[in-house]
Amino acid sequence: MKKNNENKFNTPEGYFESFHDRLMDRIQNEESTTGSSIPKTDGFAVPGNYFEKVVPAILSKTTAEDVKVIPLGGRRNFYYAAASVAAIFLLVFGINWKTENTAFSFDDLASAEIDAYFENHDIGLSSYEIAEAIPLEDIQLNDVLAEDLTNDILWEYLEDNMEDIEDLHLENEEHE
Amino acid sequence: MIAEETLVQELKSKESQAKAFEVLVNTYKERLYWHIRRIVLDHDDADDVLQNTFIKVYRNIDGFKGDSKLYSWMYRIATNESLTFLKQKSKKMGIGDQELKEHMVENLQADAYFEGDEIQLKLQKALATLPDKQKLVFTMKYFQEMKYEDISEVLETSVGALKASYHLAAKKIEAYLKAD
Repeated sequence: MKKNNENKFNTPEGYFESFHDRLMDRIQNEESTTGSSIPKTDGFAVPGNYFEKVVPAILSKTTAEDVKVIPLGGRRNFYYAAASVAAIFLLVFGINWKTENTAFSFDDLASAEIDAYFENHDIGLSSYEIAEAIPLEDIQLNDVLAEDLTNDILWEYLEDNMEDIEDLHLENEEHE
Repeated sequence: MIAEETLVQELKSKESQAKAFEVLVNTYKERLYWHIRRIVLDHDDADDVLQNTFIKVYRNIDGFKGDSKLYSWMYRIATNESLTFLKQKSKKMGIGDQELKEHMVENLQADAYFEGDEIQLKLQKALATLPDKQKLVFTMKYFQEMKYEDISEVLETSVGALKASYHLAAKKIEAYLKAD
């Protein structure tokens, strides 16, 4: 049998010149798709037009001066927390500086000043965190409030601000 | 797009603040949303945290010294707000951090705004097993495709540590996905 040494096959123009580049592209492609079993997307979605609607929602909260983001409790609760934090400062500094003649009292702090402080400073604490930081065993709220905090005031506040009194998880059965 | 330095100046000026803030919100709302969403998982929670983040940015812009990029500073606020939100949520529910994470992933199955398939749900379960920081590094690199240098500025961690953290997270996730 006569052996045919003549090559009868042909290749596209530039096939061998571009072979290396095409090979590297394929390796890179395979590495990115099969090199990891972790999906490329995580399946989260948003409601239609959410990103259009969220802009006015944010802007309205920054333009209205009287709108404050207080996650838990009402404004009054916020004042109690503010007054309590201020009281702790006064107690601490009062102990350290008790020998000085220029003593000042809580009365010297106008509520507007306390209010302004919390308006203008980011204290970085939530209502929960403030409540946790205040050792109520040692400090009575009546010590720092202008008016006595009577049970009536407390109940009135809770009735106005609590949807369900059971949320308080009161352990004492004596409440009315 | 407006230069960051100019935007910061306009944000600090009372006259131009409102307009500049609108530009800021429009520029960063989507990126910050997805960053927050991947931490809190639920859309409504992400919406709350996103709004709180922008309000915090608005109120504290005078305190922004320009030591880092505005973008990194906002990412840092968004990250802190998200993690604080989750802490408060676990406290309110009276459960631990890990229990909350598992609860959040379970809820995804009934979430109208989660369209993931079985493998994507399993991915969330895998992510819930990671420590917070490792999960953050992984999602910022893998899904948000952020550069290590930018992640480094947000998380205040060296690039080398981030790379190690990312590869460790990826290996853990792959192992979790391949199991069973």
